This record gives sequence, structure tokens and C-alpha cells, in this order.
Amino acid sequence: MYLNHLSITNFRNFARLDIDIPRRVILLVGDNAQGKTSLLEAVYFLAACTSFQTNVDRQVVNFLEAKGDSLAVARLVAEFQKGNSRHRLEVRLILEPIGSNGKRLRKEVLVDGVKKPVNEAIGLFNAVVFVPQMSQIIEGRPEERRRYLDLALAQVIPAYTRTLSEYGQALSQRNALLKLLNERGGDVDQLFVWDETLSRLGSEIILWRIRAVQELERFAGRTHHRLTNGSEILRLAYQPSYDPLPKPEGQIPMELDTPVDRSNLKLEEIQIGFTERLNQLRQEEIARGVTTIGPQRDEIRLLANGLDLGDYGSRGQIRTALLSLKLAEVEWMKERTGHWPVILFDEVMAELDLQRRSDLLAYLEESEQVLLTATDVNMFAPGFIEQAAVWDVQAGTVKNRSPEA
Amino acid sequence: MMLLPDPLQKLINALERLPGIGPKSASRLAFFLLRAPEDAAADLADALTDLKEKIAFCQECFNITEAGRERCEVCESPQRDAGILCVVEEALDVLALERTGGYFGKYHVLHGVISPIEGIGPDDLKIKPLIERVERGEVNEVILATNPSMEGDATALYLHQQLERLGVNVTRLARGLPVGGDLEYADQSTLLRALAGRQAMN
Ligand SMILES: Nc1ncnc2c1ncn2[C@@H]1O[C@H](COP(=O)(O)OP(=O)(O)OP(=O)(O)O)[C@@H](O)[C@H]1O
Ligand SMILES: [Mg+2]
Ligand SMILES: [Zn+2]
Repeated sequence: MYLNHLSITNFRNFARLDIDIPRRVILLVGDNAQGKTSLLEAVYFLAACTSFQTNVDRQVVNFLEAKGDSLAVARLVAEFQKGNSRHRLEVRLILEPIGSNGKRLRKEVLVDGVKKPVNEAIGLFNAVVFVPQMSQIIEGRPEERRRYLDLALAQVIPAYTRTLSEYGQALSQRNALLKLLNERGGDVDQLFVWDETLSRLGSEIILWRIRAVQELERFAGRTHHRLTNGSEILRLAYQPSYDPLPKPEGQIPMELDTPVDRSNLKLEEIQIGFTERLNQLRQEEIARGVTTIGPQRDEIRLLANGLDLGDYGSRGQIRTALLSLKLAEVEWMKERTGHWPVILFDEVMAELDLQRRSDLLAYLEESEQVLLTATDVNMFAPGFIEQAAVWDVQAGTVKNRSPEA
Repeated sequence: MMLLPDPLQKLINALERLPGIGPKSASRLAFFLLRAPEDAAADLADALTDLKEKIAFCQECFNITEAGRERCEVCESPQRDAGILCVVEEALDVLALERTGGYFGKYHVLHGVISPIEGIGPDDLKIKPLIERVERGEVNEVILATNPSMEGDATALYLHQQLERLGVNVTRLARGLPVGGDLEYADQSTLLRALAGRQAMN
């Protein structure tokens, strides 16, 4: 799929932008702090209804617009082509004053002019984004990796976001009850209701994650093998906090790099096992006043030649693994949805050697639409620049350098 | 610092305790009533007094009824089938079901749903009286008609577990597509639920 037209109002440093977008590679060129990354963030927002950065959704509303205590609105409108059909997607971010000096962010989404719940709009338009800070996915805390996986799944599985948020709601209720039972005692049987709800929703999430990690690993392994000239084997190891596979009792913990095949598990098996485990943990969880297992504590590790990249990866290794992961996400989305996602790569060239640059560019030319940023257009080979559209990004404005093309 | 006159402050405090009303709206409403013609305030005051004086809850099903009556119209009607109980969250739900004209059993109003976050457990709802009603043996079917929200579902699950062992037939209100609705325009969760709750054709 690809964007035909994009208009942006009051998003980051773009007060107003209205631009047609060609179906090919677009190079966004500009000095630091001009708006290159912000433009990618805007396009990604249309796919995920959230920023790729954690917890910054309200910060994307233009400062000047958000200043003062009146209502502030940022607006993104995209027209895009998906197979044979053309759609219009509009995302409104509304910062509205509440109480004496607080503000609340509200999101509204319109699909082809009709208002839709945000959960349902996610994934209509697909994009994969890479920014250098995303090495945090590999080096950072487990929540970074869960968020990575959640955002990718949200675009591919229509019910994922809703299930995840319902799971969060059930988890809050269960934790509140555990706390009550801990502090004031009461009928322990009440837990049964929340055990059921939690394991019903949790098992769906676990199964989706099992499949996603496995499929992503297949693509990432292949790409990484090529990117490292056959010198590294990349593995993604999913470590579910509630692991539906029976652990060998009384043995040393399994080596991380031993692949575990969970692909034959059935939803009901996972749910039954999850409920049973919650039952076994009941006394302990009441004593601690909190749920101790489940998708909220899942972990995914990345390994190169059996070595945990989060702990031992070199900078270059991590960057390459991240690129493999992102290209895998592109392939996976394409396989799952039947369409190319729009590819948004921020400063991806800078740290690649010449050979890898040209490999990557050759791959990107096969896709439908790519937005690539760089401070210096000479980062790209002249032949590649000729094929691409070059846009100059300057202080929140965009100029097409080759408008006739 | 200027203090608000006591009566005004008392009204603001009282309004603030209402659901969905913050300090700002509470003072706005209070000043509105202060400026409003005499009878507007008097009407409201009368309505509030009447509410407490003339309305009570049915001792059988906890639906609203006129003060002085122990049981509501539905409970007292010999035409209603005492063998079927429909369990709802609020009295308003009774009204909605009555308007359909298609239900001839009796009701039981829970006055809320289980929600540990808000500190509401089974003992805070009219669940014990429900169990007692069923234990008396007249009832052969209980229809769980709590809302299809997470807390409504959880409450239904809890009731199901409690009632099952009494040997009564427990059913849950079907959830599905709105009549006259277009499949194409149904939201995903409604569609998924309708699919999960599909029935054999007969
Ligand atoms: N909410 C906002 N309102 C207005 N301006 C903002 C907002 N958020 C960020 N900015 C500013 O927008 C500018 C563009 O930032 P952006 O990250 O897009 O630049 P960039 O072109 O990617 O730069 P670099 O090459 O350094 O990565 C920065 O000056 C930043 O401070
Ligand atoms: Mg940038
Ligand atoms: Zn009654």
C-alpha cells in the first residue's frame, strides 16, 4: 500500500503541510531539527494511532497550538491506496482542558469519513518504522520489547489491541481484589471469576505472541544471515511469563539458545494451564497482593550465534540485528496482510558500510513506498537518487526538489 | 479570603458528591440555582424530598416501588411467572425490559456489578437475597441479564457458579447484532460476540 496524499496540521513542528506523495522511494533531506523524524512519526501515527516513542502522544501536538488553556487540535489526514481500493484516514488529537489546569488527550479516528473506535482503525493502514533510538528494543528493558511486539501485532491482528486492553482491565480488577483479600480478607472464591477472565484473554495474547515471534524469527534469521555475510545466526527467544510448555521438573533451566517449539499449542490448552497455574499460585499472590504471571511480564530476547545481544551485543551488532528485525517486520506484515507496508527509515544509512547500503537500497526499491531520511543526500548513490523523489525538509516545511518527476 | 455563605457551600458540596460532577460544574449548578426563579429551586427541592419519601425498594426483587408498599407491581402480579427470574444491574434495566412487553417472568435487581477496583464485592450487591429466593425452590430458570461489559460478564460468571449448585437452570442473555443493523457496519466486538454466540437453526 502507499500514500497518495498527506495533510498535517499542528503536528510537532508542522503547522500545516499538504502534499501529494509519489509511489516510490522518497528521500527526506534536511539539517538537524527541521522535521524529518517528525514527518515519519506522523505517517506512523496513522498506522498505529500512537507514536513510536513511548508515552509521548500528547507531546506531538504543536507547542504553539497547545500553549495556553484552550482546546488544541492536531490533525493528520491521509489518502492511501491498498490493493484496488482507496481510503481516507483521519486522526485527530484533541488536547482538552479539564479541571483547573490539567489537560487530557482525546483521539478521534475517521475512516472514509465515518467515526470509528480507535481500536478498529489500527492496522487499516500499515507502516514499519525504524529510528536509531530503537536499539532500545534490544538493549532496553523488557517493556520495550513487549511494546515492539504489541505495536507490530496491533497492525496485523484486528482484535489484538482490544484484547490487550481488556486484559489490562481484567488484570487491574484482579490485582485490586488480591489487594483487598490481602488487607481485609474475604471470600477467596471470588478470584475464580477473574482467573477465568484473565486466562481467557491472556491465552489469546500468548498464542498470538508465540506465532508472531516464530514468524518474525523466520524472516529475521534469513535477512540477518545475508546482512552479516553468513557469519551470524539470529534468534528470537520468546519467554512467556506463564509458559504453557511443561518445564522439566527439577532440572537446570533450559539454555536460552535451545529453540523451544510452542507452535502446536492450542488455545484451550493454554487457557486451562494458565488457570491451573493461577490456582497453584493463589496463596502466594494473595500474600503479595499482585498477579505474578501473565503476558504483562513476558520477555523476548534476541540472540546472535547463541549470545544474548541485550547483554553482550556490540553497537554494530545491535544495529544490524535491529535492521534485520525491522526488515522482518516488513516481510511479515506483507505476508500477513497481503500488502507492502509503507517503510519509514530514519537515518538508517549512516551506520551501514557501503556494501550493506547498496543491498538495503536494492531491497527497498522493490517495495511500494519508502520514506528515507538523511542530513546529506550524498549518503545515497547517484543512481539511487535518480530513481527517488528528493524532498527538502526545512523548519516544518517540505519542498519537492524535482516536482516535474 | 472571602468565604462562600454556608448554605451555598453546603449545596456545592452536596452536588459534588453526585457521579460525573466535579467542583467546577458543582459551583456552576449552585450559582444557577441561586439566580434561578424561586420555583425552579423549589421544584427541585420537592422532587428530591418526594424521591426519598415516596419511593422505596421492593423487598422481594429490589426494583423501585412506591413507599409504603413492601413489594413492587411485578412481584405482586399473579399474572407473572414466578418460575423465571431475570437478574439485572439496575432498576432502569427493568424498565427497558418491561417496555418490550415480551417478558412475563419476575426480576431481581442487583444494584451494581462486581468491581474490586471500586471496592464492590458480591456482599455489596443484592446477591444473598437472590440466592435465598432461588433456595426457596419456586424458581426453575434464572436469566442473567447484566450488561455485556467486563464487570457485567464477571458478575454473571460469579452468579452462575453460585446458582449452579442449587440445581436451577441458568441462562445468559444472548448478545449479538442489532436488529435492522447491517453486518458491514457492525463493530468488530459485536460481530465477534455474535459469532461466538451463534445458534443452531431449527
Ligand atoms: N510539539 C512540538 N511542537 C513544535 N515543535 C516541536 C514539537 N516537538 C518537537 N518539535 C521540534 O521540531 C523540530 C523537528 O524535530 P525532528 O526530530 O523532526 O527533526 P529532524 O529533522 O529529524 O532532526 P535530526 O536530523 O536532528 O534528527 C525540532 O526542533 C523539535 O524541537
Ligand atoms: Mg531526526
Ligand atoms: Zn419486586
